[in-house]
Amino acid sequence: MQTSLPSSSSSELKPEMKHNCSHQADCLKMIQLILDGEATEQQLAKLQANLESCKPCIEMYHLEKEVKELLTKRMEKRCCPEQLVATIKSRILSFS
Amino acid sequence: MSDTPTRDEDQLLPDGDPIEQPSEDTPARRYTDEQKYQVFNKEFMPHIDSMYNFAFRLTMDEDDANDLVQDTYLKAFRFISSFEQGTNAKAWLFRILKNSFINDYRKKSKEPAKVDYQDVETTYNSEDAESEHTVDLRAESVSDLIGDEVANALNALPVDFRTVIILCDIEGFTYEEMAKILDIPIGTVRSRLHRARNLLKEKLRDYASSMGYKEENEE
Repeated sequence: MQTSLPSSSSSELKPEMKHNCSHQADCLKMIQLILDGEATEQQLAKLQANLESCKPCIEMYHLEKEVKELLTKRMEKRCCPEQLVATIKSRILSFS
Repeated sequence: MSDTPTRDEDQLLPDGDPIEQPSEDTPARRYTDEQKYQVFNKEFMPHIDSMYNFAFRLTMDEDDANDLVQDTYLKAFRFISSFEQGTNAKAWLFRILKNSFINDYRKKSKEPAKVDYQDVETTYNSEDAESEHTVDLRAESVSDLIGDEVANALNALPVDFRTVIILCDIEGFTYEEMAKILDIPIGTVRSRLHRARNLLKEKLRDYASSMGYKEENEE
């Protein structure tokens, strides 16, 4: 599930923006569920609200998203060598 | 997924040990030889690159990855009658590979010292306590890291933590699929993933700071 959420825009900081979060560990878990596509509607709504009012949550969200993208996009995908594919196929044929 | 409610999906997955005991509620599908090859080629072979990548990330060695993938595919063929067509072949194969890795490869691993057991133990013992800390790191600090640095950070994690990150972030499995592949409850998937990511962020922070990507250097 791809979720597009508003990014933090410092020029539009609302006056009630929180600079400290007392449930940071819980918020972090929720953010990971959301990025993994495993969150409930309720959790999504809560995050939406936090991303408008809680600075630590905004930063955690961006970090988690960045780390996930590093893993998905930047790491080299090793492909199976052709030779191995051929070996497996020929070994299978000799089975029966 | 299955329309036969009496059948437990878990039983469709072979364990690492080649023990298959088809019972009354898990009838072994009797494929003809031709059908076996067809299932093998159509359902198993398309996942071979993902399987190889997984094997390589687990073993961190090309030769070992080769052996592991080959063993897994031969096992998959041997136990093909316990695979039900149309079910999740990728998860089924990943589970066999993971079990083969644990049962065969890890035992004869040349370098068992690769894993810092002290580290693993400490981490596991605190699993119940849950890690309530958050890693002090900013997205901007890691955004310039290159693939090799990310791979090194990932490789530095104990294998169980590395595994959940590979399955979730690189292979895109759902928590439910991961629970089946790893034979652990879904809650453990969640907490292990959470801990794995905290460890990974610590490693990434070390890389980022050693590369001089400091917060002061922004802009």
